Amino acid sequence: MSDAAIAETTSAAPTHEGGDTGPARSLASDAWRTMRRSPFFWISSALIAVFLLMAIWPSLFTSTDPTQAVLSDARVRPNSEAWFGRDIQGYDIYSRCIYGARASILVGLLSTVLTTLVGGTVGVFAGYAGGWTDTLLSRLGDIFFAIPLLLGAVIVLVTLPATDNYFLIVLKVVLALVVLGWPSMARLMRSSVIQVKPNDYVQAARALGASPWRVIRSHIVPNALAPMIVVATINLGAYISAEATLSYLGIGLQPPTVSWGVDISAAVVGMRTTPHMLFFPSLFLSLAVLAFIMLGDVVRDALDPKNR
Amino acid sequence: MRGTARTVAVAAMSAVALLAAGCGSGDSGGDDTSAAGGKTGGEITVRGCNPENPLVPSNTTETCGGNVIDAIFSKLVHYDAETAKPTNDLAESIDTTDNQNFTVKLKQGRKFHDGTEIKAKNFVDAWNYAAYGPNGQSSGYFMEPIEGFGDTQCTGEGDDPCAGAGKAKADKLTGLKVVDDYTFTIKTSEKVSNLPVRLGYSAFSPLPDVFFTDPKAFGDKPVGSGPYKLDAWNKEQSIVLSKFADYSGDFGGKVDKITFKIYQQSDAAYNDVIANNLDITDEIPTSALIDEKYKQDLPDRNAEKETGVIQTVTFAPTKVDPNYADPKIRHAISMAIDRDTIVKQIFNGTRQPATGWVSPVVDGYKADQCGEWCKYDPAKAKALLQEAGGFKGDKITLSYNADAAHKDWTEATCNSIKQALGVDCVATGVVDFATFRTQIGERKMKGMFRTGWQMDYPSIENFLAPIFKTGASSNDGDYSNPEFDKLLGEAAAEQDAAAANSKYQQAEALLATDMPAIPMWYGKTTMGWSDKVTGVKITAFGTIDFTSVAVK
Repeated sequence: MSDAAIAETTSAAPTHEGGDTGPARSLASDAWRTMRRSPFFWISSALIAVFLLMAIWPSLFTSTDPTQAVLSDARVRPNSEAWFGRDIQGYDIYSRCIYGARASILVGLLSTVLTTLVGGTVGVFAGYAGGWTDTLLSRLGDIFFAIPLLLGAVIVLVTLPATDNYFLIVLKVVLALVVLGWPSMARLMRSSVIQVKPNDYVQAARALGASPWRVIRSHIVPNALAPMIVVATINLGAYISAEATLSYLGIGLQPPTVSWGVDISAAVVGMRTTPHMLFFPSLFLSLAVLAFIMLGDVVRDALDPKNR
Repeated sequence: MRGTARTVAVAAMSAVALLAAGCGSGDSGGDDTSAAGGKTGGEITVRGCNPENPLVPSNTTETCGGNVIDAIFSKLVHYDAETAKPTNDLAESIDTTDNQNFTVKLKQGRKFHDGTEIKAKNFVDAWNYAAYGPNGQSSGYFMEPIEGFGDTQCTGEGDDPCAGAGKAKADKLTGLKVVDDYTFTIKTSEKVSNLPVRLGYSAFSPLPDVFFTDPKAFGDKPVGSGPYKLDAWNKEQSIVLSKFADYSGDFGGKVDKITFKIYQQSDAAYNDVIANNLDITDEIPTSALIDEKYKQDLPDRNAEKETGVIQTVTFAPTKVDPNYADPKIRHAISMAIDRDTIVKQIFNGTRQPATGWVSPVVDGYKADQCGEWCKYDPAKAKALLQEAGGFKGDKITLSYNADAAHKDWTEATCNSIKQALGVDCVATGVVDFATFRTQIGERKMKGMFRTGWQMDYPSIENFLAPIFKTGASSNDGDYSNPEFDKLLGEAAAEQDAAAANSKYQQAEALLATDMPAIPMWYGKTTMGWSDKVTGVKITAFGTIDFTSVAVK
């Protein structure tokens, strides 16, 4: 169903790729053709695959326990035994970088999924219903939009009760990011819904007596989704770095949770003397953020007909 | 009580500002001949921090205000910068025959900064003010040994213990009497052998008459009696002191002007010292301590000295957490802690592994009182634990206040215990110092928790009585040993200092058997200075010795 719907929009696009005169293809397959030719797509996908594997199955990469301290070797430089050296407590930095992926990826994925769901739903309602509903929902979004991310997250995280449970700690951070992150998604969804709404096929479906729910599900959402996917992929990287920022400030994830942000925060005192403690978790963080943002970029290029 | 404030002193690195007790001397000994060169005059800037309270000696228990108070107030007794040995300052003599009735004679001609002479009534009035409950002075409990202290306290419950029936019965201590302008007497409720040693603490400073007319205005611009007077207190920015021209004591300084520049972070102060924008910082940040970086940054311009601070780990009272009741388990945990490695790796050698419960800087210190229990021996620790039948709880916990730099060492300590004993150990952060102390005070904290002590006055007694005597104000583990209490009582009654110290040492030895708290390490203070100043010395209290500092 959605494929067919997408095909309709695509046919409205002015031109296909140069010299390509085959039968009409769906937007998705068009995008796929563009993406697979981009080296950045493959680089970012490979990186993401590795990070996902790290998050799911860290013991595949290292047999060292990230909480096994060898204090007498604390702050030791990278060597054959500890590839990335050891941190202040004598923990193996390589092992902590591997195990830290889980928290970061979890926060990134959950925040993205939830902001997309919440923001998308609100945006569709606001855009489709219009009138008072639109005004109310948009202003509500504006209120949250006006709160700076860090300030708002500090308030949310400090207000919530402290806990020791790994997933609850992660969920707290996710909640803070979702509460402050959904309005941008809602705005985006609303504007693309408004763009799609006056199209003929939507009018036709309504004229044929389709219920609003059916119109939204079958015609509006599939056609308005592309910008959301792009922004969500880019945001995923941004959320990972936001999590690291919050953990760095001591209000995000807390030890004993192993996360890149926590490790970066703990290593900052050694910036002038033992920079390797800071370098490796930062490198992993940067690579993960880069991978997702790069993928988002490629997806945007592929989905945006104007670039053709 | 003071214990709460002092407990954190050990936070050192970043937290001294928050908490530590502002004890002792800043204006210590020496004249132009004794110090390490440099000319007289000039001005210096030193790192300061925001005083928590108005600058009133009896209401200042933290170092931010304490450092200023020490420079601008003289006391009866002055502690030597090097040895912490007390010598008379404002006092001509302090005499007693029975350790209970003391006669204090004052030197004549010593003046407050407003020109009025320091007389006996300035002491008696100040001490009465400090003791009187409704005045809410944080150092008021220092007057506790003086007769009549109980009647000056509010007895009510709740938010305002002074309301209604709880009102204090008396506003004067019956144990204080003015004999003439330069003589007064002190009567204590029990025998106190080391009272003269205590009188150098800032809470015992005399206050001028002008204080009592408007204590609030005084707190912003105190009129002191020390070698320096306060010119201006620019809130959040600086505190400016200048030399008091009429100072006639023996402990004057060389420089004409001292400016405390207020910093929020020790890193900023440290960088300013490197850039020669600040002359002295009394705190080296952790980032510069790693691998002793500061010794490269400030070659020949740094110093380190042991101070009267000890860090301990206390066990929750047995009725709160029975899992730690067996002394064998306590000994096992103590032996499972690798103090040397933690000090080397976490503190970069800026602590000294403890071998007892009393700081080495005080009179009466005896080394190795803890004996083998304070030596790292994982095999023996494990054997001891098995002998005691293993650890009954599911894991050992070590709680700390998360608002100061305690996370690293508690985590390292727990890792050491975990590896030696094979029992899981978790370092648990409590959000801030106030919450942490409340949980301990209400006896709700289970397991082990960090406790620290910064001495108020240099005496072995100060490390034993307030912490381990039955029912003492900072006895967080509810330790009670009749023999220990008896020895403390006997020591307090001794006329001879050496005999008293020996009794105190016997009492300390009992702690090794019962292990109410695990000694961890003694504190040290590290300072750095710019190339504009010379003669920087650290006192036994970890403060800058302003008598010897000079401009090059």
